[in-house]
Amino acid sequence: MSELAAYVSLGFRHITDLEAMDHILFLLALAAIYRPRDWRHSLWVVTAFTVGHSLTLALAVTGALVLPTRVIEFLIPLTIVATCVENLVVRDRQRALWRGRYRPVFAGVFGSVHGAGFANYLRSLFVDQIALPLFGFNVGIELGQLVVLALAAGVLAVVDRAFALATVRPSGAVLRLRVIAVSGFVALIAARWAMERSPF
Amino acid sequence: MGAIVPLFMALAAHPLHTTLTQLAYRDPDHSVEVTVRVFADDFRAVLARDVTDSAAAAYLRSAFTLTDRAGQPLAVVWCGMKRTGDLLWLCLRAAAPGGLSGLRVRVALLFDRYEDQINIVQAILEGRRVALLFTHGDASKPLS
Repeated sequence: MSELAAYVSLGFRHITDLEAMDHILFLLALAAIYRPRDWRHSLWVVTAFTVGHSLTLALAVTGALVLPTRVIEFLIPLTIVATCVENLVVRDRQRALWRGRYRPVFAGVFGSVHGAGFANYLRSLFVDQIALPLFGFNVGIELGQLVVLALAAGVLAVVDRAFALATVRPSGAVLRLRVIAVSGFVALIAARWAMERSPF
Repeated sequence: MGAIVPLFMALAAHPLHTTLTQLAYRDPDHSVEVTVRVFADDFRAVLARDVTDSAAAAYLRSAFTLTDRAGQPLAVVWCGMKRTGDLLWLCLRAAAPGGLSGLRVRVALLFDRYEDQINIVQAILEGRRVALLFTHGDASKPLS
């Protein structure tokens, strides 16, 4: 196995491992508001998340960004809670700020926070050879995210189906029920993580 | 929901559980030097005691194996450790008259501590950099 392949594999395994549930739930929260026909919006958000990761990658390689791991580990669940709150609060995205098009911006910012979490570990471990491990790990993370998002779409479709069977409602109401259920569930877990990881 | 939430809570921990082991062939004495990088807090946790040379060497010998082409384990000698920041650098040496190519290695560090542990091995074989990954349940793998 080449070194690059090893680091790609490391990143892919990391994001798809159940132990990395905070990243998985963040992606689920990001995807919770979208229907299949909204694929363009979700693509923008995922791309922004990737840009955030890549930005952290560049900053980590140059040493321009050094944040305490404890603070980052605390901020990660907060980004998940914030995403869930945004899902719940903004009911009509056509009337929201920039018609709801700010979402890729915060996905990018939050993505950089998540990226900083693993960048700190990698920078410590690969202190004398950071570029290749970080690049490979990031590529693996992005590939893993695609798998996680595909699975998330499946989970959300099942949730939609369950609500549609349980109630006779228009599809918009089913989507709202799904957003409330998924965001509430994820926010509850992430809030607990934030309390456990609080550096204060 | 009542049972699912605690399950997800238990999966909260998200540190990267990884070690890096580098194998370097030393021409002058035809030996291999093994350098293991491990996060100090992880290593202290798995030892469940202070990290002394004797404790570190004993654990490393149990979790790291190097065998020759005939499947015979190579005798490894502890050559010390140092700490830089969060990281411990552990050192082993073994005689390897035939070079690195064809040797088999197994790195089971911290598998007894973390389910998601991944151990990376790097080596240079005939000028070519190669890498191996070890996860739970992996047997030894050849350097090739």
